[in-house]
Amino acid sequence: MRINTWFISSFLISTVVVIPILTVFSSFFEDTSNYFEILRETFFLEYVFNSLLLLFGVLFLTFFLGVGSAYIVSFYEFPGANFFKWALILSFAVPPYIYAYSLFAFFENYGTAYTILKYLFGDGNYNQHIPKFSGMFGLILSISFSLFAYVYILARSSFLYQSQNLIELGKNLGFSKFKCFYSIILPAARPAIVAGLSLVAMETLAEFGAVDFFSVNTLTTGIYNAWIAFDDLAFANRISFFLLLFIFILFLTENLSRKKARYHLESKGGFKKKEKNKLRGSKAFFAFSFCFALFFLSFLFPLTQMLYWTVKFPENLFDLNIMDLLINTLYLVSLSSLVLIIFALISNYGNRVSKQKILNVMSTLSISGYAIPGVILAIAFITFVAWFDENIIKALGFLSIKKIFIGSVLGLVIVYFIRFYSLAFNGIKSGYEKMNISVDESAYLLGYSKTKTFLNIHVPYLRNSLLFVIILVSLEIVRELPITLILRPFNFETFATTAYISASEDLLEAAAVPSLCLIIIASFFILLTSKYILREGSE
Amino acid sequence: MNNFFEINNTTFRISGSDKVKNVSFSIEQEGDIVCLLGPSGIGKTTILRSIAGLEKISEGQITLKGKTLSSTDTHIDPEHRKIALSFQENSLFPHYTVEKNIRLSSRDNTRGKININEIIKILNLENILNHYPHQISAGEAQRASLARSLNSNPDLLLLDEPLSNVDQSFKEEIQVKLKQILKKLKITTIIVTHDSYEAFYLGDKCGVILDKELKQFDDPYNVYHFPNSEKVVKFLNRGVLIPAKVTSPKSLENDDLGVITGNFVNPVPIGTDVKLLVQPEDLQHDDKSNLKFDIIDKKFRGTSFIYTLKTNTNNLLPVFVHSHHVHQHDINDKFGIRKPIHIEHIVCF
Repeated sequence: MRINTWFISSFLISTVVVIPILTVFSSFFEDTSNYFEILRETFFLEYVFNSLLLLFGVLFLTFFLGVGSAYIVSFYEFPGANFFKWALILSFAVPPYIYAYSLFAFFENYGTAYTILKYLFGDGNYNQHIPKFSGMFGLILSISFSLFAYVYILARSSFLYQSQNLIELGKNLGFSKFKCFYSIILPAARPAIVAGLSLVAMETLAEFGAVDFFSVNTLTTGIYNAWIAFDDLAFANRISFFLLLFIFILFLTENLSRKKARYHLESKGGFKKKEKNKLRGSKAFFAFSFCFALFFLSFLFPLTQMLYWTVKFPENLFDLNIMDLLINTLYLVSLSSLVLIIFALISNYGNRVSKQKILNVMSTLSISGYAIPGVILAIAFITFVAWFDENIIKALGFLSIKKIFIGSVLGLVIVYFIRFYSLAFNGIKSGYEKMNISVDESAYLLGYSKTKTFLNIHVPYLRNSLLFVIILVSLEIVRELPITLILRPFNFETFATTAYISASEDLLEAAAVPSLCLIIIASFFILLTSKYILREGSE
Repeated sequence: MNNFFEINNTTFRISGSDKVKNVSFSIEQEGDIVCLLGPSGIGKTTILRSIAGLEKISEGQITLKGKTLSSTDTHIDPEHRKIALSFQENSLFPHYTVEKNIRLSSRDNTRGKININEIIKILNLENILNHYPHQISAGEAQRASLARSLNSNPDLLLLDEPLSNVDQSFKEEIQVKLKQILKKLKITTIIVTHDSYEAFYLGDKCGVILDKELKQFDDPYNVYHFPNSEKVVKFLNRGVLIPAKVTSPKSLENDDLGVITGNFVNPVPIGTDVKLLVQPEDLQHDDKSNLKFDIIDKKFRGTSFIYTLKTNTNNLLPVFVHSHHVHQHDINDKFGIRKPIHIEHIVCF
């Protein structure tokens, strides 16, 4: 094995990320409290049933919304198609918990819907006719409208790269448009759609804010209760592990069902750019209506609701120190994304030049951090720091280090790092995968050292990927809730935590201002990245 | 006197398995060109990559200007070797223009022997200097890569199928210019190719790699006319082996062709049964000859026709005829061979 600076750097970075993940797995070797006994005899089946219902409900809806919208904007030309192409990803700016606040507030008794009806038609007993979107149904809607863009983006990019030849072949064989869709287009996009759905599944099972707001008892609740009420970290970790295992088995089954089928053509020569069908009349109206409804429901609706409250209760605007929240949010975003980008870049380059299998294994393990719920990661981090402090630091006679890592910006940045390392690592990796290894070899043969190759050849080449990753990570951190909530320093608030705290105190109107700010910042990041997310160029 | 470059008993490996074993050859003088010939996948590229330092060797030694570059316990990193390798596939830096790619060499052009503008002109790259690699053809990318390698002013230049993607119409011109540049600048070069004509034209020496071994390393003329094994004959595909019996120190006899005279390249005892190499230019066409065989195939090669004849004992013989020959023959016609048959170099196994 060839050990060099790059290998060591890459190994150390992966190790740091792997520690909390191993802590989760190590829960199987620890004693647990009697919480499991209590849970088994009371709500366990309800938790499991609710989690499954939530998962499949969200998967179904995101599949329908994501694939449907991606199909329409990729294959058809209609008024507004170019606008919806990028506008639909703005739904990312609204985290599920903010969507939940909007949904609940709009339809609640004497809520916004009531106010609108009263304004339009005068006094009346509207409350009994207004549907109530709370509980499981509200939760499924909130998460689906917030996350469908994962499926939309990946399905769309897969549709874009489908060769016109395949579609023409279908027509040539006499297939109807519907048959073309389900027997040619959809199967070819299957891996991309499944990838999108797997991201949705992981986010759904890790969702904390919306689940908490609608008081739906899922396994996430079980995790939280195990920690808060029973101080039983090991059991919390075990539930989390089973959640991950469940997702893994689900998608492994899907993968095995593909057998040896391939979903892409390697031949470049066979690719023919797709021609979009121009829709007219009622068909164009339907396509426009579907996309507009989706854009409205996923983005405009929560945005307007928050805006409405902000205007209606302007005192909330002045009660908050928005500048402090903005500085705190941007401070966390810039620090964390800088750390993530630097380390993910070093680690990727280390993997590339060292070509050691151990690094591949470590990387695979380390990127699974994204699949572990934020709550669990935060708890696992606290557990590890406490153990390390107790057994190593104090045993060596040093002062406690707990305060340095728990309830500090440093601790937050470390856990963000673990949680979002996969995003940064994979984002850069996909940039690297487009770069043939002979590029590196050519640089060495021109007399470039490894460091010079990294700085002069790789970094400029990866410029766009790096920018994309920085913005993507920033977007995630702006929206992140549970880790920030658990690990933030005393009196250190972000837009996300302020919105959550107000909402959990039943002050939804007060949650509007920070929610609105969060949506605006996140939208800004999305608009910056839309060029890369929706690229149709030659890459 | 030390050789300029030397490979001694070296085994080249890739991904843990031996590709080419026990290779030895040397380049005596600076500026010489060696061409390595062999079928695809035989390990030619592995040899170049190992010489460049991109792969380690498991046995043997590679030295350049008296300095050991690779051995069982030495491995100098590629960036410290002053060896340039021009890859077969496009290895230009995708985010730089062709011009920046070419001028990106990290090494000093202290010897001052490279005039890159001249090379750009010779390789016909002037019109694509501002293009990015994805905007140019595979052949242009190969030429740009070649220019970049030349500009790095290497002690040893390695070219992996340098003209495989270049248009046929342009290939010969580039071959001539490439040879002129390399000779003018005295750049010692090892070229890997599967095109024997390219190797025979460019190389001062040629090596033939077959069955994980360097089967023959010699002057191009000798490789062509005096192949040292049946496998080299089959690889070059420029002749057939027919059975014959040695009848005297200067003759042998074949059932179909009768007595054949000539000079044996290697002496063979009288009475020995051998396989005689017959190349297309060894037999002369003669319409008036009584020795006639059926034509079973006819290949037009521009300046010549190659007729394939079937003998009475079912051997196939290739015969070269100038395409301006007074009349053409068709398949199934009878084709006369001039007698007596004399082959200048008799090669037999």
